[in-house]
Amino acid sequence: MRRTRQAVVFTAGLFVIVVSYWLVMNFVQNPEISSLPYYTFRTLLRITITLGISVIWGVSFGILASTKKMASIILVPFIDLLQSIPILGYFPAVVLFFISLFQGSEIGIEFSAMLLLFTSMAWAIFFGVVGAIKGIPTNIVESAQSFGLTGFKYTRHVIIPAIFPALISGATLAWCDGWFFMIAAEYVVYLGKTYSIPGLGSYLAKAAYVYNDLNLSVMLLVLITAIVLYLNFLTWHRLMERTSAGTYKPAIKIGLSGIGKLGTVGPRWLHLGDRIHRSKSLILASKWLKRYTRLEKAIALVLSLVAVSFIIYFIVGQIPSAEMFQQAFADPEFANLPVYAALTLGRLGVAYAISLCIALGMGVLAAEHKKFAAIFYPIYDIGQAVPILALFPIFFITFSRAFGGAFGLEVTAIVILVLDMIWYMFLNIVSAVKNIPSEMKEVGHLFGFKGLKRITHLVIPAILPAIVTGSILSWGTGWNTIIFAEYMPYEVEQFGGQPLTLPGLGSYLDKTGYLPPPKGNPIRLLFLLGVVAVIVLLMEGLVWRRLLRKFEKYRVEV
Amino acid sequence: MTVLEIKNVTKTFQMEKSKISVLEDVSFSVSEDEFVCLVGPSGCGKSTLLRIIAGLEKADSGEILFHGQPQMSPTPKITMIFQLFGLFPWKTALENVEIPLEVLGMKKETRMEIAKSYLRMVGLEGFENTYPHDLSGGMKQRVGIARALALQPEVLLMDEPFSSLDELTAKILRELVLEIWRDPSLPTNTFIMVSHNVEEATYMADRVLVMSPRPGRIVSEVKVNLPRPRTKYLRDPKYFQSIDETIAILEKSKLEAPSQKSNRLA
Repeated sequence: MRRTRQAVVFTAGLFVIVVSYWLVMNFVQNPEISSLPYYTFRTLLRITITLGISVIWGVSFGILASTKKMASIILVPFIDLLQSIPILGYFPAVVLFFISLFQGSEIGIEFSAMLLLFTSMAWAIFFGVVGAIKGIPTNIVESAQSFGLTGFKYTRHVIIPAIFPALISGATLAWCDGWFFMIAAEYVVYLGKTYSIPGLGSYLAKAAYVYNDLNLSVMLLVLITAIVLYLNFLTWHRLMERTSAGTYKPAIKIGLSGIGKLGTVGPRWLHLGDRIHRSKSLILASKWLKRYTRLEKAIALVLSLVAVSFIIYFIVGQIPSAEMFQQAFADPEFANLPVYAALTLGRLGVAYAISLCIALGMGVLAAEHKKFAAIFYPIYDIGQAVPILALFPIFFITFSRAFGGAFGLEVTAIVILVLDMIWYMFLNIVSAVKNIPSEMKEVGHLFGFKGLKRITHLVIPAILPAIVTGSILSWGTGWNTIIFAEYMPYEVEQFGGQPLTLPGLGSYLDKTGYLPPPKGNPIRLLFLLGVVAVIVLLMEGLVWRRLLRKFEKYRVEV
Repeated sequence: MTVLEIKNVTKTFQMEKSKISVLEDVSFSVSEDEFVCLVGPSGCGKSTLLRIIAGLEKADSGEILFHGQPQMSPTPKITMIFQLFGLFPWKTALENVEIPLEVLGMKKETRMEIAKSYLRMVGLEGFENTYPHDLSGGMKQRVGIARALALQPEVLLMDEPFSSLDELTAKILRELVLEIWRDPSLPTNTFIMVSHNVEEATYMADRVLVMSPRPGRIVSEVKVNLPRPRTKYLRDPKYFQSIDETIAILEKSKLEAPSQKSNRLA
């Protein structure tokens, strides 16, 4: 019964996608439209291969880092720091490296795209694995030891089953990340020259910037979203269903639409159902923040800066010259750095405030009323499947037609940021509201809390810790997006063939990475990356860590 | 004088595809100054019954009469203390006691006075500004008791109030609850407690109502005829007789229970 239904969904989905491809290919006028299946294949292949590499890397290094003390001391803080630097921030450096390695050939872009995807995928898997191994209950570890399970046997019978759910959820996150970064990775403008590798992302970018065709861009976006949704339901959902049967539960669940079915019973049973989709990995983020002392972070920072410089200078063979150092800080724009930082932070702040308000309203309503859940859960499912960066060209065309180039870009940046930040907040808020213990809700009911009083006295305080973790994650992804969104290097003829930029840290970083010297400068690039890392770490230490400590007490112990 | 009357209460939970009958035709009444305990196997619906009396859940059929009037929603006259205390972690001990008073519309000074006096009564003087996070389990339950009493209810419902505490703390708190019950200066004098601990129930109650496995029904009641305070009678044969009687009824109703297919959810 269930199997037939799945088969029906599987075939129907495939049918819909094939038909839409056929329709698009036959009725859209574009010189490249016949290559659409090939582009799809290339993108899928690229993401799948990188995912495979990330899984192998994440599992082996994750096991290494959590079983060998030395490896853990070196690896974990190092990767944690790499994780806190926005991936798109070091993308220019990666492009620089590979393009000079392959002397400007397309293979260089292919490699840098895969490395970008890898860095976006591998961390989620690595930390999922490390967290899962650390989370193996002591009684299981001890009983395994008492039965003499050591070495490879221990890995096979204890570690592998324990990391499996984390691996599935990590791979799911990685998969989504892959689609997120696809458009940034496949279409690069470097030293005034456009490099693109065949794929859906680059085709979408071309549709927008080269052909300036809004209809085609929207259609491509819809197609991409449909493929992502289809593959999500086809693979990850089923894998997750399978793992949740075991003792170890999956850490997260993508796709909220299924939950409503659990919610029809009395409070006690509802509570049991809610445990299943509690997002552990989101809560883990708060634990990672608390793990290191400042000294450890400083060491990790120095280590990674040394490593990055090593990669750039020694492998490429560019030993930094005195001239380069001089150029790095002689740039006229350099003095604007504080203003740029403030502008970028301002954009992030505005977008954060908007997404917090919307996510709070939507999340509380969805968690408390089934009617709203029926509307918001599907929106969430689709919303988080849309690769946000792929929305960028479409919004840019729309808004620049409405508001003109510069202001259009400003609006696009904010809207994209909101759409990017909102889902982490929403997911965290929904699961936190659902996880308020039934006893707590009963107390509110018993003492007559209603309406606004209930929200301010009960719901909001109960979900504050979750709001903080959600905020940390949204800012993390926000940094990536803004580096992409402040800079429009594509020579759209409408705007005089000039690159469009918003003054800010993100665009300055892009210019430093992608433009020819003296604007482009590897040393300044490293310096700016350092500035971003410092800002991220400062916010962590001064804002998030304090809030987390303050709200830790609010966490309801069950 | 009868304070509470529970008449033919029936409750069914709707699962995804099946219905689970939790309570079936439950009737009993509680008089003023009485201490009644509900005991039964886990999953027999005793906590649900308590929640229906508190007005937190609705019965499918049957009614709750409070002084002869049907009682459907929560009222300050009937209040409850919880197994896991139900304290708000984001409020101090004092604020936790104050919340229900605030909802009643009391002024800040008055409710602070009241809250302080009840905290003092349960022995928590000096802990007014401590957050639940920093209180021990026993202290948390003391806050829970103070919060319930501050409303000056007539009926106090207790849902396994001592089962998440260690035995020594539980013992001390049982005495505290019995003192409150006996205190003539407090309006709270009718107590209903849910427990799965037969000894605890026998020690505290005037009457022990024994419930069957799901669907829960009252199968019998055991009157405990021991003088109070009962500290001296803990080795008394009569005390053990009552315990044995209750346990025998529980065992018997377990054997007689109908097919157990829905019990996998217990």
